[in-house]
Amino acid sequence: MSQDPNNTLQNVEPEETFSIEDDVQGTNTKSYSQGQLVRRRFFRHKGAMISLVFLAFIILLAFTSIGVGPLPGWWDKNHLDTYTLVNAAKPTFQLWPFSLGEHPFGQNTIGKDYFALVMKGTQQSLFIAFMVGLLATFIGTTIGAIAGFYRGIAESFLMRMTDLFIIIPTLVLAAVLGRMAGGSIFFLALVLGLVSWTGLARLVRGEVLSLREREFVAAARAVGTPAPRIIVRHILPNALGTIVVNATLLISAAILLETSLSFLGFGVRPPDTSLGLLVSEFQNALSTRPWLFWIPGMFILAIALCVNFIGDGLRDAFDPRQQMD
Amino acid sequence: MIKYIAKRLGISLLVLWLGSLLLFVLTINSGDPLEDLRESNAPNRDNLINQRIAYMGLDKPWYERYWDWFTGAAKCVIGQCDLGTDRSGRDVGALVVNAAGSTLRLVILATLFAIVIGITLGIVTAIRQYSGFDYAVTFMAFVFFSLPVFWFAVLLKHYAAIEFNNWIVDAVMSPLTIVIVAAALAFILMAAIGGKLKRRLISFGVAFVVFAAAMFYFDAVTWFRRPSIGLPIFAIVAIALAALIIVMSSGFSNKNVRNAVGTTAIVGIIGYAIMRGNLMSQPATFKLALCLIAAVVIAVASGYLWGGFSRKQAIGSSVVWALIASVVALIDLALSNWAGYLKENARPIPTIGSETPNYSSTYWNHFIDGATHLILPTIVLTLISVAGYTRYTRASMLDVLNQDYIRTARSKGISERKVITRHAFRNSLIPLTTIIAFDFAALISGAVLTETVFGWQGMGNMFKVGLAEVDPAPVMAFFLVTGTAAVVMNMLADIAYAFLDPRIAR
Amino acid sequence: MTTETESTLPRFTGENPVLKFEDLDVKFKTEFGHVHAVKGLTLSVEPGEVMALVGESGSGKSVTATTALGLLPKTARIEGETRVKDHVINKMPARELRKIRGDRVAMVFQEPMTALNPVIRIGEQLIESMEVHGVAYGRQAWDRAVDLLKAVGIPGAERRAKQFPHELSGGMRQRVVIAMALACDPEVIIADEPTTALDVTVQAEILDLLRSLKDKLNTGILLITHNMGVVADMADNVAVMFKGNIVERGPVDQVLLHPQHAYTKRLLSAVPHLGDGHGQFGVAPNPVEETAEMALDVNNLIVEYQRAGKKPFRAVDDVSFDVRRGEIVGLVGESGSGKSTIGRALLGLIPSKSGEVRVLGEDLLSMKGTEMRKLRKRIGVIFQDPAASLNPRFPVGDVIAEPMSVHKVGNAKEREKRVHELLEAVQLPRSAYNRYPHELSGGQRQRVSIARALSLRPDLLIADEPTSALDVSVQASVLEMFTTLQKEFGFACLFISHDLAVIDSLAHRVVVMQFGKIVEAGTREDVLLNPQEEYTKRLLAAAPVPNPIEQKQRREARHALLRELGDTVVELDTRELDQR
Repeated sequence: MSQDPNNTLQNVEPEETFSIEDDVQGTNTKSYSQGQLVRRRFFRHKGAMISLVFLAFIILLAFTSIGVGPLPGWWDKNHLDTYTLVNAAKPTFQLWPFSLGEHPFGQNTIGKDYFALVMKGTQQSLFIAFMVGLLATFIGTTIGAIAGFYRGIAESFLMRMTDLFIIIPTLVLAAVLGRMAGGSIFFLALVLGLVSWTGLARLVRGEVLSLREREFVAAARAVGTPAPRIIVRHILPNALGTIVVNATLLISAAILLETSLSFLGFGVRPPDTSLGLLVSEFQNALSTRPWLFWIPGMFILAIALCVNFIGDGLRDAFDPRQQMD
Repeated sequence: MIKYIAKRLGISLLVLWLGSLLLFVLTINSGDPLEDLRESNAPNRDNLINQRIAYMGLDKPWYERYWDWFTGAAKCVIGQCDLGTDRSGRDVGALVVNAAGSTLRLVILATLFAIVIGITLGIVTAIRQYSGFDYAVTFMAFVFFSLPVFWFAVLLKHYAAIEFNNWIVDAVMSPLTIVIVAAALAFILMAAIGGKLKRRLISFGVAFVVFAAAMFYFDAVTWFRRPSIGLPIFAIVAIALAALIIVMSSGFSNKNVRNAVGTTAIVGIIGYAIMRGNLMSQPATFKLALCLIAAVVIAVASGYLWGGFSRKQAIGSSVVWALIASVVALIDLALSNWAGYLKENARPIPTIGSETPNYSSTYWNHFIDGATHLILPTIVLTLISVAGYTRYTRASMLDVLNQDYIRTARSKGISERKVITRHAFRNSLIPLTTIIAFDFAALISGAVLTETVFGWQGMGNMFKVGLAEVDPAPVMAFFLVTGTAAVVMNMLADIAYAFLDPRIAR
Repeated sequence: MTTETESTLPRFTGENPVLKFEDLDVKFKTEFGHVHAVKGLTLSVEPGEVMALVGESGSGKSVTATTALGLLPKTARIEGETRVKDHVINKMPARELRKIRGDRVAMVFQEPMTALNPVIRIGEQLIESMEVHGVAYGRQAWDRAVDLLKAVGIPGAERRAKQFPHELSGGMRQRVVIAMALACDPEVIIADEPTTALDVTVQAEILDLLRSLKDKLNTGILLITHNMGVVADMADNVAVMFKGNIVERGPVDQVLLHPQHAYTKRLLSAVPHLGDGHGQFGVAPNPVEETAEMALDVNNLIVEYQRAGKKPFRAVDDVSFDVRRGEIVGLVGESGSGKSTIGRALLGLIPSKSGEVRVLGEDLLSMKGTEMRKLRKRIGVIFQDPAASLNPRFPVGDVIAEPMSVHKVGNAKEREKRVHELLEAVQLPRSAYNRYPHELSGGQRQRVSIARALSLRPDLLIADEPTSALDVSVQASVLEMFTTLQKEFGFACLFISHDLAVIDSLAHRVVVMQFGKIVEAGTREDVLLNPQEEYTKRLLAAAPVPNPIEQKQRREARHALLRELGDTVVELDTRELDQR
């Protein structure tokens, strides 16, 4: 051998440091908790960050401009009154120099302020979407967790419900229920929540099924931890990634579902308004007054797109495989 | 495996029945079916109300009404469907036949396109992970995910159809348009092919020249007004297709598969050359069907005879060739009749309905008429659903590419192309089979919206109108057709799963 | 090429290496900066030589080997050279590199269960590299594939070639992987932990196969392993790797019997040695008194797994044994023997079909609800994988306190105090209290599991392969600590393991299982030193020891035993492969 073993020895530290294990993860380097790691990765996802800012802007705009309920907003017109036509009902909004003008998004056929209408529609759509997101996440997580942990009846129920939603598409069932709801947006949100949870439940079930086989759950069971405590304290926190990501995606699906229903006439109904209803109302105005059609559609697209990108950012942040890249 | 599929089918039928009960009960309770009449001022109002009560059976309890529907629908099993009457007394069964045809055509076509395009894009983006192409496709996928179907459909109807119809009148492209379009296409192709800068520049240059030359040629001979593929080009395409399939399935070194596909291709091309004239002059649906069956039989026979110890693969590859080549042949036949169709319909892309009403013309003109009506709705549905397939395939492919057996394959010295086509491709398809069923449900939803926008008298419209009028018969007919289609689709997905994954076979 | 004067080596002069690493340096880019995996390593392998590259996890041994095929991910930055004959692998264009892969260098991977493509027939996977490298085509290639399968000792090769990987057992699949590596007669084979995932009897067969392979084909083998027994059995020369560097190298006898470097010494002293008995790591458990109370008494236990559409699978079949207070009973067996199933059934994680289990005199199987929970308090458990057995969302303090808070023992303050006592007992610093499991090393995590298991002062501890996921030096310190704690706390312990040497170092009695049944049971001395049953003999004979001279004798004794029992010794049957 050309290399003298004693030579190589000099490169290596004395004997004490050979206990690899205390050395592998230096105890003095900066450490991250799981939550910090997720946040760190999320903040690095440019698309998600831009979307987050943009969505926050839309939400603020919608709720501060015309106000919520009795609270007034900074915009002096509302979505109910008709106004005299200004600028031949065309949008008065201009970017440079920035000015909103009298009717930034123009006016509809009878002279209502379209900006206020769109803001009201956005409010309604956002409200319904977030309600649906919360409700469906709650139902989906509960049923998914029970089905995954206890198997048995809950699992068969979930599986049959999934089969049912393959056979009756969500939109169809939602339309029937939406027609029953008769235009009340609270009831509509409830109904949409009731038909939107199966996808999330299936994913949570899958996650719980794999988590319950993990040894830390076996360890918890072995010391006699009651099942509800195992689910709540050991399993669900570890399924948080799946839940959060899919809750986000549920919200974007709910936006599209609500607007689709309103478009078909089984969702929000006049005199109330929603983005889908506005699109439906002005689909034939595309050649004469295209902005009446474009603006609500762009709002739907923008909201759904932002939420989807945020979901993507969260998925990347939670997905441990990211560490490999 | 048969046991497994039979069990799944049994469950699906049970769910189908439960679903019908649920939907029936919800529908009849979703509103007041007499609402419009109660508010009407017609002099014979009471008569109308009584008539409707009689048609709809409103005087019976709900379970009797359901039972009536159910027993009628159950007769479909013996071929004597009775789907009841709608609120005006029309027989729903008669309405369903046409509606189901056009809707299912739309949905199945969109599913096929979405699967093929989505899987292709998914695999290319997975291979070129973190490239510009990947980012662009990913971004587009997100946009399509987030796109409100109805809004997009209206835009497409307005811009694509009307603009195209204006353009086709003289079908002239300005040189600038040609350059821009060719550059854009070449850029996309370059991004998909990837590689080092030099290779990219070469692929861009070659593609640009080819595209631009082709478009100048097409423009000069006003190809778009009287296009045709013709037999020679068909033959070239068919041979290229055969080569592609051989490369994708086993590679040229496996002579069993190579010979099987080659034989099928040669027999197929000769067969088409013989039949083409006849099909052009005296077309008929049964002839086309016979030709298709003949092609598949030839493929199976050739695969069986040449197959040897890779018989299954040889048969599979040959059949795939036969199916795709048949589609190419059909396109060739249709395009050859395009000029004639344009004479009768100056504005070929319609925006309303699923066929031109009261149109009477030749077989091929009817065929083109149906196809042009399908184009826009199919584009809408495909784009919506292609996003999902792209993302799923990409994720699944990336997952597979991280597996140990891919490393094993690479360690054998196999080329990257073969690693992808032979080792990764099939494995990456396995998880996709489970989403086909879900995607199909989403497509049915999409069809309801699309039909509304394009004014189709399809199943979606039946559902929409039926629900608006609280009329269960059309709603249930819609459910019966789409639900059964979903069950069939589900079963096909199960079979595909069992076919792809040998671990399932039992 | 620089000629090394490896004069100390009897057979291999280093003049014609088939594989040579020269000043190899590999860095990886990760989310948290760069990791320097290999730091300027030089090593060579000659035809017919088995060079063992030994080291613990994170030493860079697998990374080194992977450079020989150019298969490292793109995040790797490679400097220096890896040569196969005259080709510099890490500087070749991809097309050239592919010509070398599989043809001149082949690799045998660790995990036979995942190394084969599940959707392609075995024969076709074997053909592939032959056709790529032009060795054989079509029918001829298929015939050669069948011959290769015969050569590696797969019975019914014609039929097996048409099967899919899931139809074969792990050992069979590893043979297929080896056959695949042999397909193009490579000059060097890189075997990356080729037997780690296998049972000890299967491991012995695979090692026999590899040995006959290099003798008959004169192939060079770079053997990557952490198992000193495998090194002693196989290697001609050894290089010991530590943190990206080789710290010691030389002929196997010299390195294993007279190690020079402190790390090698430490590593070797940490390897449990079958036959050395108690006290190998400084502490011996106390002897058990004859009159000691029964802690666990299992009678005629039967556990079955329900299978859809099939007869239930009987994983544990009529098993009876007992553990007394203060006693450690080793439960030994290979995979599928039912040893872990017993552990899980005793913990109540899976239902038992019939039988009687008495824990400290109380009948476990008939209990329910509160009673059951009270009894659970008295049973502690340690699982195999320390990474999986700690809830990743809990800091260490919560992990250890969790059993106490489930059973409402003490208040928050008392629990914290107890956790600190336990941390001290398992020799972890106080600062570990607020750390999350992913911040700890494997050994530290397993200490946390032990602390958790002891938090309720159990009378019975069930340890399911507690050290098999750990590196050998870590294993030694955990075993030492475990023995100390057992002496101190005096709990009874059922110690489940596949590693006979580990059992030998601490158990009082041993129970050997196979196919769900007990094959042999008795005191440690009786079972491990004087086995009566055929299976126990085979098992003991197959376990390698880290002493090349002794291992050679053991190997010959094993071959004699196999012949006596009417079995054949696995070797490469080259008759079938002559046509090339």
